[in-house]
Amino acid sequence: MQPIQRRILSVLILLAGLAWIFLRADKIGASTAGRIPAPQKGFLAPEFTLAAPKGEKITLSELKGQAVLINIWATWCGPCREEMPTIEKIYEEYKDQGLVVLGVNSTFQDNQVGIVPFLEEYNITFPVVLDETGEVARKYDLRSLPSSFFVNRDGTINEVVIGGPMSEALLRTRIEEILNSPSN
Amino acid sequence: MLTLFRNIFAAPRDLILVLAAAWLGLTLSEKRADRHGLNPNELNNLLFAALLAYIVGGRLFYAAEHLNAFIKSPFSLVSINITLFDIWGALVAAFITGFVYSQRRRMSLLPSLDALTPFFATLAVGIGFSHLATGAAFGQETTLPWGINLWSATRHPTQIYEIIASLLTLGLLWFRKADSKPGSDFLFFVALTSASQVLISGFRGDSTLILGGLRAEQIAAWVILLVSLIGIEFLKPKEVEPVMAGGRVYPVEKPRAKPEARKSAPRKAVMRKETKKKTRRS
Repeated sequence: MQPIQRRILSVLILLAGLAWIFLRADKIGASTAGRIPAPQKGFLAPEFTLAAPKGEKITLSELKGQAVLINIWATWCGPCREEMPTIEKIYEEYKDQGLVVLGVNSTFQDNQVGIVPFLEEYNITFPVVLDETGEVARKYDLRSLPSSFFVNRDGTINEVVIGGPMSEALLRTRIEEILNSPSN
Repeated sequence: MLTLFRNIFAAPRDLILVLAAAWLGLTLSEKRADRHGLNPNELNNLLFAALLAYIVGGRLFYAAEHLNAFIKSPFSLVSINITLFDIWGALVAAFITGFVYSQRRRMSLLPSLDALTPFFATLAVGIGFSHLATGAAFGQETTLPWGINLWSATRHPTQIYEIIASLLTLGLLWFRKADSKPGSDFLFFVALTSASQVLISGFRGDSTLILGGLRAEQIAAWVILLVSLIGIEFLKPKEVEPVMAGGRVYPVEKPRAKPEARKSAPRKAVMRKETKKKTRRS
């Protein structure tokens, strides 16, 4: 290709690119995030209502306005056991600033009898609910245990961490982000 | 099929795809090293040093940004959490390390980048597959028949567009004729990749919107495309010296300055000969 032909082609490519950018501009918001529920960063955290071992029910949408860490775990899962003391420590440190940790036990693939002794063993004080039917696992597209979802005060997901154990620094940085997020 | 793929390579197993692509890319780059006048081993070492700096630099930059969190738990610096990572810091660290290493080894920058182009192109394919596995870089909602069901909607399969574009880029680069201008392979790769990003980002559903709805990723890719196309115009061919032979003038590439190690080689050979003579005498 001659240099002049190459230059003309380059200019045409750049102009076409520019036209495409303006053509695909999205006034209403290219991102569908924040409007529909899905277990992905930027989307609304899918809604659920689950019962705690003692029977009281917790609904996620009722926690709107607070920074929420949803941690899905099971008693047999090694990394879940490893990260529990760190999550408890961080919860104690930040709960007064508006942090809610919601432990969701993947009960449909766990031994229900072992859950309460597990919570006692690790001195867990944050609320834990039981996913007996696998509803949360389905809604949150659960592929690995543990899975953690950091939810902003406005109910959108800020970060998804699949696998574990989560380090203290990871928990601190993400929790400070969701605590500083706007409420609406 | 897609569900099975996403189950097998769900995060963090998607890293297997990126690592496999990196390994394949390095193999391809080593095969092409000779074409750019480079030693495959040197190229391998350069990349290894840059990758190490990428990993360490990414974590250190992240720690520096969140110093308070790491002061409270210093052991987190060596945690296995891959999200404790600053990608821009990692890229800066990798570039600086690669540059310093190549200068110390007297490797020219542009031929080195040319030789590494198959690595970058293959890595882009791997990243596309990783996005497909994790559902990242997802598309806008669509009614087109090839839409995929992802994040509660039927969406443009932007990850598949990304894989196809990266494969085409790799193919075009691999079968491209050898160019006499150092840096042309690399800039050609940058131009193709940024052009495909301008196109594909228009279908993305997770764009950052600026200036009344324009997509920031598209604008950034367009600027990179502009720079790469200007760069291609300013590339100079390798320096050549005219040589007379049989009454005709032939252009011959200028010999490159020999590194110190190579200069010392003949001396070593002389020393070896002298040692042999001494041994015979004795």
